[in-house]
This record gives sequence, structure tokens and C-alpha cells, in this order.
Amino acid sequence: MASLINKKTIQHLAELARIELNDREQEKLVKDLQKILGYFKELEALDTKNIPMMTGGMDLKNAFRDDTASENTNQGAGKEVFPETHEGFLKIPAIFDRNE
Amino acid sequence: MSDFSHFTIKSFSEGLRAKKFSARETTQELFAHIKETDKKIGAYLSLDEEGALKDAEHVDRALAEGQELDPLAGVPLAIKDNILVKGLPATAGSRILKNYIANYDAGVIKKLKSKHAIFLGKTNLDEFAMGSSTENSAFQITRNPHDLKRVPGGSSGGSAAAVAAHLALAALGSDTGGSIRQPASLCGVVGLKPTYGVVSRSGLIALASSLDQIGPITKTVEDAALLFQGIAGHDKMDATSSKTTYQWKEFSNPQLEKIKQMKVGLPKEYFATNLTKEMDQALDETIHRFEHLGIQFKTISLPHTKYALSCYYIILPAEASSNLARFDGVRYARIDAQNPDHQHSNLKEIYLKQRGLGFGSEVKRRIILGTFVLSSGYYDAYYKKAQQVRSLIARDFDRAFKEVDVIFAPTTPTSAFAIGEKTADPLSMYLSDIFTIPVNLAGLPAISIPIQQKISENEAVPLPIGFQLIGKHFREADILGLGQLYEKS
Repeated sequence: MASLINKKTIQHLAELARIELNDREQEKLVKDLQKILGYFKELEALDTKNIPMMTGGMDLKNAFRDDTASENTNQGAGKEVFPETHEGFLKIPAIFDRNE
Repeated sequence: MSDFSHFTIKSFSEGLRAKKFSARETTQELFAHIKETDKKIGAYLSLDEEGALKDAEHVDRALAEGQELDPLAGVPLAIKDNILVKGLPATAGSRILKNYIANYDAGVIKKLKSKHAIFLGKTNLDEFAMGSSTENSAFQITRNPHDLKRVPGGSSGGSAAAVAAHLALAALGSDTGGSIRQPASLCGVVGLKPTYGVVSRSGLIALASSLDQIGPITKTVEDAALLFQGIAGHDKMDATSSKTTYQWKEFSNPQLEKIKQMKVGLPKEYFATNLTKEMDQALDETIHRFEHLGIQFKTISLPHTKYALSCYYIILPAEASSNLARFDGVRYARIDAQNPDHQHSNLKEIYLKQRGLGFGSEVKRRIILGTFVLSSGYYDAYYKKAQQVRSLIARDFDRAFKEVDVIFAPTTPTSAFAIGEKTADPLSMYLSDIFTIPVNLAGLPAISIPIQQKISENEAVPLPIGFQLIGKHFREADILGLGQLYEKS
């Protein structure tokens, strides 16, 4: 399974994860991931048929809060660390191109 | 004031009430000591002298007025820098959060503030708690106070080193796969990882939400019980927070004679491999000491132990890759915002550049790995499989706890390793946590307690090592009780 990872897969994963990686980083990650996924191979031998997935830290059931109104807003907090704001709103570059 | 290094939370609190010294005076002296000593240790990333002194004065005034205060009042604490304290930096050891100032208090901080504990500053960690040596911090390395050429362990290395070097009376860390217990073991202090859900994760910068848990790092087991009591309890800001209630009498006044009736399991898989001769011998002596106190041991089996590391390094990166998506270079301050190179025209470019610039290599490695194991076509082979294996590991413990009350194990395979020794090979670093990881996967409580080693004449003082006690869900009282029995014997 280790050969699943090459430079092209790393580039694709980096694009999905929205992380720019330089050439050297890509090459190192190919090697690291091959080795790590090679280690995971031990799991293949383990029979997990009909074993349920454990998806959380323990068997907590859905936790609902009471359906009551309360005033508890954190609005405006964090604004001071934001690069640009406009009349209390956070300003970011456009997501879509105007011509798209 | 008498020498700060002799104090535990308990003795400090008693001295404070007896007016042997004031909270302000101790805090002030402590900052002088930190400024002198921390130059060589590097435990703290930031200090809050002004805030701490103000809070200390408040405690002194309240005591002078005869108010009844919690044992944690006036106690100077160090806080891992992935736990939010309003108005203080919270970098999580990452460049991407270099300029972030927390704008609310974590659940545990709210609780401790209501008890008038003092926060000295924020401690160093591996970036986003990813690591076992604190070498992955973007800002500095932390050195082991017992040997400055060695690591303090990680990821809560700053907190463990601060307590070991008497730069705080106690500290908070976070434990995702051993990040409280492993550094506690390497620094010769006590570290408790509570049951999943017992301590609020609100305001803890999330690494892997189904594994993370905040806990105390202290000088004694008795102090760990005190600080645990100060941070445990339901919090509506954390949806996974448990409503289980505790009998706190068991913690403040453990019945040692009753504790001696406990049956302790020795999992054969934990002693089979990977232990150095010194470690093996020290663990053996500890078992004998417990036996001498009347504790009965029984060999048990946790057959899926060997799969825990693989299981963990699939689940953790998967959860981390989605948790860390929020650090997009937009929401939590931009790096070098004034730099014309960072004036990007579209959002995607900001994400790519800021995350590329802001994350260190271990964080990038785990995000890429997590993205891979969750990606279409590989999800079943890795992520689904790992969650099934997690069930098997949890069942191993369930079965074992039908036979025994507590499980005894090593905390780490070795004592503190040298700085730089494991940085080149991520897998060798990952192996530092083989004895601590299964506990997080099963959501159990566990504590690391320093082994009281024999010091022979003409021999160098050995490096600290710890042993681990693992308890049933919500039974911190068992492991803390057994730990106190060892500590007081």
C-alpha cells in the first residue's frame, strides 16, 4: 500500500488541505508517509468484521441543551486581531471572481 | 518566605492561611525566580506578572477579611499555551497563532478563577500539542530541569518542566495520547489524564476532539487530587462534557486501608518489549513495594495493545486535519499582514500561503496524513478500520476491569532522551507514547507517578521515570488513592 504515495498524491492532498508546500517538503512527506502507512499495514491482518466503529471518547449519547432563550453573544470579540474590518464587520477578499 | 521549592499546593495553602507569608509576596518572589531560572529551561512562552500580582493581592485582602477560600486560592499555576486565558496570548506553540490573544476563558480557567487560583503565565508545547519532546514548538525548545541536554517530554513539556524546576506550584497540561503523563514521567513529577468528558474541553485549542483531555501536573499525588477537583465538572459549553458526579470525600480523605484491598492488573503486553533494563528493574521494585503494602497483583492480557499506535496515528491526524481547518490565516490574525507579499487577491491564496507559512513540519505531516486517511477510496481501509480497532482496544480494558480494579503499567519505554535524538524520524518519536496511547483511545483515566529510585553511592543520580496507574471510567479516586498510598509509604 505504501506505493500509494508519490509526489502527485502529496500535491493533491496539499491542495485539498489548503497548505502550500515547497519541493523539499513534498519530497520529505512522500518518504514519511510511505513509512508511516507501511507501519499501518499491521492492521490489515486484524479481522474487524462486524466490529462496530468507536466514534467518540466514550459512549455518550446525544447531549442536548434546554431549549430556552438566553443572551450570550461573543459578537465583536476577536476583531482586534483581524487584519481588516469595516463598520464592525470582518473584511476578507472576495471568494468568487466578479467575472465568473 | 521559606524556600518555595519545598511547597506543595497543600502546604502552601496551609501556610497562606496561617499568615506565614502573603500571596503577593510569594508571587513576586516566584517571578524573580522565573526570570532568573527560566533562561536556561525555557518553560514559559509568556508571563503575566501584572495580572498575577493583582489577583494575589485580591486573595490577601480576602484572607485578611476572614473570608473562607478554596485550597487553590492564591496557588500560583502555569497554564499550557493551548488553553485560553482571556486577555493573554494563546499560541499553541504555532506561528499561525503568534499574534492571537484569547478573547474568552477556557472552562477550566473559569472554574479556577472562581477559586482564586493565580496564573503565572503560559507554557511551551509542541505545536498544537503534536509531539513528545516539545521540540516542535515554533518559538523555543524547553530543557529537562534534571539534565539540560535532554528533552522534558511533550507535548506539555513546558508545564512539566515548570513544575519540576519549581517555576510554578502546579500546572495544567493536555493529554491526547500521553502529553501529560509522558512529560511528567520524564521530568519526575505527577501527571493525571482524567476520564474523557470529566474536564471541560471548552477553550482548549482542539487537536483530536475524541481524545483530548485537560489535566493537572503537580509535585504530589495529593496535589493532583486537589487540582483535579478544581477543574472537573460539567460545562454546558462542551457538548461531550459528562454529568457524572463524584464523591469528593474519596479524594480529600482517601481510605488507605480500603485501598489496600484493591486488585491490580499487570498487562503482559506492556512488559514484554521495549523496556530498558533500568526501567524493567525500577518497575519491578515498585511492584514489590506495593506487594509489601498488601496490594495483590494479577497478570492480565490486553491483546490488542500492539495495534494501538497504528489506530491512534490514523484517528488523531483525521480529527486534527479537520480541527485545524479553522486556522486559515483569516480568523486569528494574519502573519506579517503588513508584508506586501501577503496582500493576496483571493481567499484561496490566503489559505494556501498562510497555512504553508504558519504551520511547522509535524503539523503539516499530520494534516496531510489525516486528509489522506479520510479521502475517498481510503476511508474504509484506514479511518473506518482504525475506529473498529479502537472498539477492540476499549473492549480489552472493559474485560480486564471485570477482574481487577486498577492496571499498573510503565508510562514511557525510556527515561528522557537527548535533544535532537528523535527529530529526524517521526515514527521513532511516535513510539515514545506506546504505553500512554491506549488509555486515550478507551477514554480512561490514568496517572503517571515518579518512581522513588534507589540512589547508590558513587553513582550519578538517575534520571526520573514514572509508573502508570490506569483506572476504570470515572474512577480517578482509585488511581489517586493507590498513588497516595505509594507516596505516603
